[in-house]
Amino acid sequence: MSNFRINKTNFVDQTNRISFKFDGKTFFGFKGDTLASALIANGIHLVGRSFKYHRPRGIMTCGSEEPNAICQINDKSNLTEPNVRATEIELYEGLEANSQNCWPNVKFDIGGINNLISPFIPAGFYYKTFMWPKSFWKSVYEPLIRKTAGLGKSPIKPDPEIYDHKYVHCDVLVIGGGISGIISAKLSAKNNLNTILIDDKKELGGSTIFQENEIFKINNKISKDWLINEINEIKKLKNLQIKTRTSVAAYHDYNYLLARESLSDHLSKNEKDGFVRQRLWKIRAKKVIIATGAIERPLVFNNNDRPGILLASSINKYLNYFGVTCGLKNVIFTNNDSAYEVAISLNKKGIDVKIIDIRKRSESELIKETEKLGIKIFWNSTITSTFGYRKINSIEIMSLSEDGSNVIGEKNKISCDCLGMSGGWTPMVHMHTQSGGKLNFRETDQVFLPKEFSDNRISVGSSNGHFELDEIIKLTNDTVKKFLNIQETDLDDADISCSKELEKRNIWLLPNYISIGKNKSFIDFQNDSTAKDIKLAMREGFKSIEHVKRYTTTGMATDQGKLSNMHALGIIAETAAVKMGSLGTTTFRPPFTPLTFGTIVGRSVGKFFDIVRKTPMHEWHVKNNAEFENVGQWKRAWYYPRNNENMHQSVQRESKAARDSAGILDASTLGKIDIKGSDATEFLNRVYTNAWSKLSIGKCRYGLMLNEDGMVYDDGVTTRIDENHYLMTTTTGGAANVLSKLEDYLQTEWPELDVWLTSVTDHYATASICGPNSKKILKKLFSDIEFNDQNFPHMSFKNAKIGGIDCRIMRISFTGEHSYEINIEAKYGNSLWEKCIDAGKDFNITPYGTETMHLLRAEKGFIIVGQDTDGTMTPIDLQMDWIVSKKKYDFIGKRSLYRSDTMREDRKQLVGLLTDKPNTVLEEGAQIVHEKNNKPIEMIGHVTSSYFSPNLNKSIALAVVKNGRKLKGQKLLVPMRDQTINVTVSDFIFYDKNNERLNA
Amino acid sequence: MLDIKLPEFEKKVYPDLELSLLEPSYKINLRGKNRDFFTKAGKLLSIMLPIESNTSANIKNINALWLSPDEWLIYGKDIDKNLETNLNNEISKLKYGSVTNVSDQWVIINFKGKNIFEVLSKGSPFNFNNFKGKKNVVVQTLLNHVDVILHHQEINDLNLFVRKSFSEHLWLWINDSSRFI
Repeated sequence: MSNFRINKTNFVDQTNRISFKFDGKTFFGFKGDTLASALIANGIHLVGRSFKYHRPRGIMTCGSEEPNAICQINDKSNLTEPNVRATEIELYEGLEANSQNCWPNVKFDIGGINNLISPFIPAGFYYKTFMWPKSFWKSVYEPLIRKTAGLGKSPIKPDPEIYDHKYVHCDVLVIGGGISGIISAKLSAKNNLNTILIDDKKELGGSTIFQENEIFKINNKISKDWLINEINEIKKLKNLQIKTRTSVAAYHDYNYLLARESLSDHLSKNEKDGFVRQRLWKIRAKKVIIATGAIERPLVFNNNDRPGILLASSINKYLNYFGVTCGLKNVIFTNNDSAYEVAISLNKKGIDVKIIDIRKRSESELIKETEKLGIKIFWNSTITSTFGYRKINSIEIMSLSEDGSNVIGEKNKISCDCLGMSGGWTPMVHMHTQSGGKLNFRETDQVFLPKEFSDNRISVGSSNGHFELDEIIKLTNDTVKKFLNIQETDLDDADISCSKELEKRNIWLLPNYISIGKNKSFIDFQNDSTAKDIKLAMREGFKSIEHVKRYTTTGMATDQGKLSNMHALGIIAETAAVKMGSLGTTTFRPPFTPLTFGTIVGRSVGKFFDIVRKTPMHEWHVKNNAEFENVGQWKRAWYYPRNNENMHQSVQRESKAARDSAGILDASTLGKIDIKGSDATEFLNRVYTNAWSKLSIGKCRYGLMLNEDGMVYDDGVTTRIDENHYLMTTTTGGAANVLSKLEDYLQTEWPELDVWLTSVTDHYATASICGPNSKKILKKLFSDIEFNDQNFPHMSFKNAKIGGIDCRIMRISFTGEHSYEINIEAKYGNSLWEKCIDAGKDFNITPYGTETMHLLRAEKGFIIVGQDTDGTMTPIDLQMDWIVSKKKYDFIGKRSLYRSDTMREDRKQLVGLLTDKPNTVLEEGAQIVHEKNNKPIEMIGHVTSSYFSPNLNKSIALAVVKNGRKLKGQKLLVPMRDQTINVTVSDFIFYDKNNERLNA
Repeated sequence: MLDIKLPEFEKKVYPDLELSLLEPSYKINLRGKNRDFFTKAGKLLSIMLPIESNTSANIKNINALWLSPDEWLIYGKDIDKNLETNLNNEISKLKYGSVTNVSDQWVIINFKGKNIFEVLSKGSPFNFNNFKGKKNVVVQTLLNHVDVILHHQEINDLNLFVRKSFSEHLWLWINDSSRFI
């Protein structure tokens, strides 16, 4: 045992010794220690440097509120992890941690020079500096600021750990495993409610679990012993799930909460191999009980940030939970009774302790016991400074004036190696406010408390402002009974004894004989915000807490102001002479404690990063060297490079082959909707802009679907299979939305129609064969069908059989070539595809991908919804007036086509563009202008599709241009970074304007 | 002749969980809502289509899953091939509703074992607390962001329907999830 490991406890296994490294030096701790407790046991307090001034900083707390002891784990590894709190990480064999924000080391840090120049770099200095000269902005200031910004080092390799997600549902979720959480969970579970109890520590019990003072008794048992019994009892309850090492990160609307469970962070490298590291719980709870407790406040005085200065309650936890004393000569500085428990504990273990209390006097049971033990108390006093660079070695105290606004009398120096401070308690209302709850301010002890409870959410215990043991138990019992409609409980007649705090005195900024401008009274320890900074911000006109926060960076560190926000508010209120409650608080945003990216992402990494949809012919494409592109979630063959071709070369070859002989495309991804019912024709009339009443059985028709606003929504070919039966195709990306929209219309707007929709997108595989030899290939495959134009004209379909299997052949074309699409049940898709390839061998059939398809259709001026349209194009804008029926009574979007805005002649309209230099290919998305000398330059449109056409031996582009219809033949400019490209507006059909090839 | 290509999912066994492919299976989507529709469907399937939401009915090798007040999924391993024709003739052609073969639209993955819902809860927001204690219940939900239909036919014996194009991805995800039960 070291000098600081002074006793054994039930929570640390001192038979299980663990070695670990801190800043490269090997130390030893025990199973059950945190990194912080093990470091303190080894006499280490200096663990890092502050962000701005690089002041030496030590461990200050024992929980998630820790502002100083944030470490880099596995610093030398590519998988290093920054900003891990030493107070939260459990010790494991082989743990390697390093201090952050210092160079070359934590004891001697070059950045410490900032502390010397601190008068010149107050809050907001960076808003006023770095202004001149302008030429420095990008080359000097930005790199400098970027280099100094941020805490810790990011890993440079992908995280190999496994993370998981899990959805859970419960009747009651209890957040917090302290005494009020345990009471709540027990009441809930014993009343047959499916209950989950969550706590971020490895053991339940909060601070009561190590409470040994005999003043605090429940049913004649010391509170700790009573609570251990309760914990043992709830562990047996069948409908209670207890999750320790689990921290609620966010509380969203409708009782949807996110919690992170650490599953293997506490295990050594060997033990955790193959285990899930962290799991994100997505919890839906019918009711939530918030029992998150309270966090002790620091006190704000000169040099309150030295290593060896901790929160008093943390000293108590290190002592009674971990068996470690933070110092051998302790001073407790307080404004309340709770810190006296710490002094009593230290004294009873034979450790020197003194108390400085800003109150004039108090008469509680705890104080009587303290005085009985002979502990020296300095009443009505304050600390005016602390001393010691790398660790505190003494303090200076003075008496307070009557009203507490000044110090008076002699300076008294006291030597010490540890200072505990306690400025009262702040209820943890984060969860309450994240869920939408409002707060009230209680003047007596200056705390924000939940204003109201809802039917499905309450706060209990100290998170609801109850700090005395009897209050906590009685009021938690009463509140939960009412909340869960429970008649009686074991605690109704509980006998509770405890000390009652009678005197309160709070001074947000303790007075000093040194002026505020010259002392360092820290409020936000991680971001180095001082009381002076707050006052400076106010002098400069910032009044709102949100503005002061951002100007001074108070509360913006990784601890999100858990220790600092209340003091900032208090000092603002005092300075502005307003009531603190009227200022409100900053917004409590999730996450409550930082989440790893791994936890957020879960297993959606690597091959599970995104959903993948594959067509029945996917394997064939893979075997034939296809490159794929993502279209929606589909993997579509993009192009098929041969002999080291690049994409351009492949596309040129594929498109030539399709025009010269035959090409084949996997079109299985197109959305397919089976439409049946006696009103199917009327339904199509209402859905599409053109007329469908006269479409004969066996014929196909192209349709354009609009939104209610008259803008193009989707398009596709629909085939009349039978009298009351159609097969609609949609765009690949729009399939699900179109089905949803149509179903919505049928259920809400047109319930009178006898129409039934069924998605068959995945049921059919589709092979599309195009080119002048496509007919010959089809003849080889379907010898019993006459493929002449009379028997099988363009825009018609036939039922057929191949190898005895039913299929449908549509003669439709998206390339402008003579084309056929064959639909067959998906399980035969691959076999059909191979048959088509075999049949086409004599005609050099060439598989082509989506890039070639885009080129071929652009040559013909066929639009792609979503590429040539963007939700602001009407059919008239697309120069597709021909598809809008003037005779139909109505269709979706019709009325909007006659609004003044949609009828404007100068709307952006689809045009073709030809570059003056035929080999210059425009960039898709490039802006188009009339001229570029008059500034500001008017952007009149943009390029939507652009390719080099091997069939036309020149570049072609589709674009949308203001008043484009009337600009045909005019010259326009496309300014690019390195050149301005001259273009001429043309017809958007570049190839085979008379559709001769369709019927070739 | 054309070759049939089904998903190549080998049976997998994990602690208290067995995964297997239930293909080829016959699947028909039935839609309709008038009395004649119910009469015809009941007669041809020898089953009363379930009208209580999220339930199923079954007889011998035919299962009927409630999908919405006017939509059912009929499925089974060895269904008479004439069933579709008969349903078409008696329902579709008489304008009582619609009958659509969706055998290749969906792929069925069978789950067996006590850990079914442990795996499903990793990717499905649905509350299985009551569902897992009942048989012949159905739910349409998401699993790892993919639309699925779950048919809990017997306690700890569940058929999952996923669209064919998603099936390989989901199968891999389910197997990966099963490693961390």
